[in-house]
Amino acid sequence: MFSKLFNPDSIAVIGASHDPRKIGYVVLKNLASHNYRGSVYPVNPKGGEILGYKVYKDVSEIPDVDLSVITLPAGLTVKVFEDVAKKSKFIIPIAGGFGELGPEGKKMEQKLLEIAQKYGARIVGPNTVGILIPSTGVNTALIVPERSRFPEDGVLSFITQSGALGLLTMDSFAMYGVGVHAFVNLGNRVDVNENELLRYFGEDPDTKAVVLYIESFRNGREFMEIAKEVSKKKGVVVLKAGRTSRGGKAASLHTGALGGNDAVADGAFKQCGVIRAYNEIELMDYGRALAYGKPLNGKRIAVVTSAGGVGVVTTDYIESNVHGVGLKMAELSEEIKRKIKEEIVPFASAENPVDMTAQASDDDYDEVLRALNEDPNVDAILVYALFQTPLISEKLVDIIVKWHKDGDKPIVVGTIGSEFALNMFRKFEKNAVPVYPTIERAVKALRVLYDRGRILRRWNE
Amino acid sequence: MNEYETKMLLRRYGIKVPEGRVVEKLEDVESLNLKYPLVAKVLSEKILHKSDVGGVILNIQNKDEAKNAFLKIHEKFSTPVLFEEMAGGGVELIIGVLRDPSFGPAIMFGLGGIFTEVYRDVTFRVLPITEADAWDMLEDIRGSKILKGYRGVKVNREAIVDTLLKISRLVMDNGDKIEGMDLNPVLAGENDCIVLDAKLIEASRQ
Repeated sequence: MFSKLFNPDSIAVIGASHDPRKIGYVVLKNLASHNYRGSVYPVNPKGGEILGYKVYKDVSEIPDVDLSVITLPAGLTVKVFEDVAKKSKFIIPIAGGFGELGPEGKKMEQKLLEIAQKYGARIVGPNTVGILIPSTGVNTALIVPERSRFPEDGVLSFITQSGALGLLTMDSFAMYGVGVHAFVNLGNRVDVNENELLRYFGEDPDTKAVVLYIESFRNGREFMEIAKEVSKKKGVVVLKAGRTSRGGKAASLHTGALGGNDAVADGAFKQCGVIRAYNEIELMDYGRALAYGKPLNGKRIAVVTSAGGVGVVTTDYIESNVHGVGLKMAELSEEIKRKIKEEIVPFASAENPVDMTAQASDDDYDEVLRALNEDPNVDAILVYALFQTPLISEKLVDIIVKWHKDGDKPIVVGTIGSEFALNMFRKFEKNAVPVYPTIERAVKALRVLYDRGRILRRWNE
Repeated sequence: MNEYETKMLLRRYGIKVPEGRVVEKLEDVESLNLKYPLVAKVLSEKILHKSDVGGVILNIQNKDEAKNAFLKIHEKFSTPVLFEEMAGGGVELIIGVLRDPSFGPAIMFGLGGIFTEVYRDVTFRVLPITEADAWDMLEDIRGSKILKGYRGVKVNREAIVDTLLKISRLVMDNGDKIEGMDLNPVLAGENDCIVLDAKLIEASRQ
């Protein structure tokens, strides 16, 4: 139902501008520079040409379009809205100055909704940065391209109530080569809401996990029903912010006072198979873990590292409940320990964490990963790809990718360091390996995959 | 809804509450037919925190003490008095219900007393809950170990799960009438789970 929103054959930009500082220009620039292949119809009473696109003087001059982006201020948006609604399947009114300002603005946006419903158009927003779909080149976001990065195509679909937080998050992850399949900023959510979109991305074969930033749910019970269905097929992560204040008579009860923060949302997520994130880094990290990784069937983790200290800190993070995730270090089976010690790396420690030391080569890693994949005492492997020692090369990436794809055990990768490590990170990312740049983030990803396993087992009961 | 009415509602759903009688006249203390020791409580839906205002008398051992307790409470508040058999031992729990603006009716579970008041060690679920949800709630709280037998205090965890599920059913049947509910304390013992105090706030009708 949203396919013409994300993959429109034609886009009108109402309020297109010649001024590079105006959103009416930036949207056109985005379409041009992201190779949007459909027809573009800029509308501005002055006419002329912008970025090679012919400008239409009035909405009445353009044909019917799949998507209209209105880049005018709130007042003018209301004015042109009926003309636009007649011609559009989807409308994105970018302007703020609606419901977020109070009852007057609320009335204005209700008016938009009435008009849209009259003509069968759907609204994303208002007060939104709109949508970003790298695969189709549709991008309505207002940011300066010289100072930020847009993500490439990926497998995460990102629904956010805050446009700015969403764009900043994608900007910071774009550096690591993390892409998104779709980004939607709900804005004031007068029409299209998170529940419809979650259901849509749940069915969408190009979406491997859905991540949401939500301050308040439009309809919490409906969200739970949809999230439960979606979570049977793919991971759902929610960064829930904002506290609801609970007034009224019930606040005089203990229960009312204790439920005053978002404790109820926390319980709701556990009931409907949603993984909770507490900041934007976790949101993307967990989304990537669920999209790329295999769920764990148990808590026993084998750790492979060439740096002893990394193994020790990792062990603490795996086992501890405070500054840790409460999983277990695997007791490797005697047979596997013997194999590692006698046949593969006699110089290394074959206890868990398996410390390969700086003498280890790419091929040693290959053999150790093969052995651990056979160990019945291991539920998942955390392997550190540390490129700072002489016998390790880029080939290690291919070896780990191979075991991630062909091995039975879930694998999470940690890679620590500067530019070179970052490049290797991108290679892992391109191969859909759950890779993380710090010990803590790698271990937390394991925990999320463990939780995912529990969720799936619960649904299969 | 006053405490006695609330407890009768709980009892209809198979939730255990102490044996109790509402006494309006001193003479009625004669025919109480309850097992001592008793507790006497002011019975009024307007008074939410009974012990703070001196509305609770514990450890009543015989008829004379019961009469004194009745007079004391009745003179102070001019309300009926609820006499109940006293129960002790086990672990104190709190179970509550509220209406969340986004998620609707929800249930809370935690260890009572300072665990609730100081540590806020409680967990919520949206109603209705499944049996698996109820077991999750027992595991969710930081003090979950206490329910698994701590220093010789044995707790019947099945009875707690059963109580949570019965409250879920009660709220789903009467949800639009209930604004909030505090069952505090609920005493979890070796055999059963019994609601010692219950407050229910009815939803105001528009």
